[in-house]
Amino acid sequence: MEATQATPVKYDMDVVRWFTIMAVVYAVVGTLVGVYVAAELAWPFLNFDLAELSFGRLRPLHTNAVIFAFGGCVLMATGFYMVQRTGQTKLWSNAMAWFTFWGWNLIIVLAVITLPLGLTSGKEYAELVWPIDILIAVVWLSFGLNHIMTTAIRKTSHIYVSNWFTMGMIVMITYLHVVNSMAIPVSMTEAFSIYSGVQDAMIQWWWGHNAVGFYLTGGFLGIMYYFIPKQSGRPVFSYRLSVLHFWTLSFGYVWLGAHHLQYTALPDWTGSLGAAISLAMIIPSWGGAMNGMMTLSGAWDKLRTDYILRFLVTAMAFYAMSTFDGPVMSIKSVNALSHYTDWTVGHVHAGALGWMAMISFGAIYHMVKKLWNTEMYSERLVNVHFWVSLIGAVTYIVAMWVSGIMQGLMWRDYDEFGSLTYTFIESVSAMHPYYVMRTVGGAIFNLGTWIMLFNVVMTVRQASAVRSVNAVAAKA
Amino acid sequence: MDYLHTDWAAMSRNDWIGVVFTVLAFVAMVAVYVLVFNPKNKDAFDSQSDMALRDEGEYNNSGDKK
Repeated sequence: MEATQATPVKYDMDVVRWFTIMAVVYAVVGTLVGVYVAAELAWPFLNFDLAELSFGRLRPLHTNAVIFAFGGCVLMATGFYMVQRTGQTKLWSNAMAWFTFWGWNLIIVLAVITLPLGLTSGKEYAELVWPIDILIAVVWLSFGLNHIMTTAIRKTSHIYVSNWFTMGMIVMITYLHVVNSMAIPVSMTEAFSIYSGVQDAMIQWWWGHNAVGFYLTGGFLGIMYYFIPKQSGRPVFSYRLSVLHFWTLSFGYVWLGAHHLQYTALPDWTGSLGAAISLAMIIPSWGGAMNGMMTLSGAWDKLRTDYILRFLVTAMAFYAMSTFDGPVMSIKSVNALSHYTDWTVGHVHAGALGWMAMISFGAIYHMVKKLWNTEMYSERLVNVHFWVSLIGAVTYIVAMWVSGIMQGLMWRDYDEFGSLTYTFIESVSAMHPYYVMRTVGGAIFNLGTWIMLFNVVMTVRQASAVRSVNAVAAKA
Repeated sequence: MDYLHTDWAAMSRNDWIGVVFTVLAFVAMVAVYVLVFNPKNKDAFDSQSDMALRDEGEYNNSGDKK
């Protein structure tokens, strides 16, 4: 039974508001740390010979802050927002949602303390030590249980595709996190992985690429399928295609991890399989990207005046670009050049800055207006934020692409006697201008997040002031 | 063809579990394709394309629907 417009629905939106606010704060902090570590690579004296400020310790802080603090808060805010509104029901447990909020923020605080102290499991994108891993599992499951149960008590007959993407992410990330984090503790801060050698590498990249696939892609595709129709006022171009997008992504992504381990001790066929499925994944990924863009059919003119829509549509372009770039890099002959170079960093940031962050910014602006029942304090600043983000992202990505390809070519260049033409340190020196350019691009992108923070804070204050005036008027 | 050669006798229990799971996943994926592309299901799927737009309405300051 579909709920009608007349049906009063009381949603639990306070927790969504707080997740949204924290997402904006973490966008500022996470990218700021990123700018600092980028600057360290350009000007190494910036570590001031302090271990706590060294690149090796701050880099995981940056990745954890942007992926899990910013990205996590966006996914939880939008997840709770979409499941209530599309299901026309309140949360299954508002108290559990608050537990998720405080638990997730506690994890972030613990990451801020432990990572600079050098307490790490040494696994990329899963660096936190084992007690925090257990806490992550508990808090993540509270989010998952609440989302799934809210879906179960929905007032609508159909489960909207965005909720499928969110639930797919919840199920897979639970499985991936638990399996990858299996370890034997030897103290409160140290543990040994139960996997050894090549199995450890395989499990690590099975986790690593599926965190990209189900968390940074699947979760954010759920956002795309809800917020592009909402912001453009147009139905999804092809709902059939969105369903196909979900299932092909779910079946396909799990095979890709081995493409991170080409030319290693892994059996050759695993890398070939990873590359083959990676190339096959271009089809659903581009199908999804086209579906998002074609949703604007008949509404393209809105891009002239709707700055929030610009974020959402530009994100689709970057999604298409990075889901082409990635499969190409997984091909063995290309991988021989690209692996271990900054090309990978450029690819990752095309996805992170262009796709994930842009779609998040669009969704945040959309939600802020709805959640506080107001217009943005400054639409013009939203537009400024859009252009600053775009310029910053492109500057960053171009710097890394050029730097990466140059690095790869320098490393494999031989002279007539078969000796390497360049020493490694010569390739490091050659990267300096691009590392400066990367820092500038990152700083521009970070500036955009400050603009968003200011605009969101002023919008909330504006809404609160209007509410106070209305309350006084009502009393009078 | 050597590249595709498989020593079936050397397959362990884990190998067989993996093979069975892989084949089942493939069959499930084909089933999804059939389901989605079946013309009979087109209207049922596409009737949900505006579902996100249907949740609009009047909201008060606490985000609740009036």
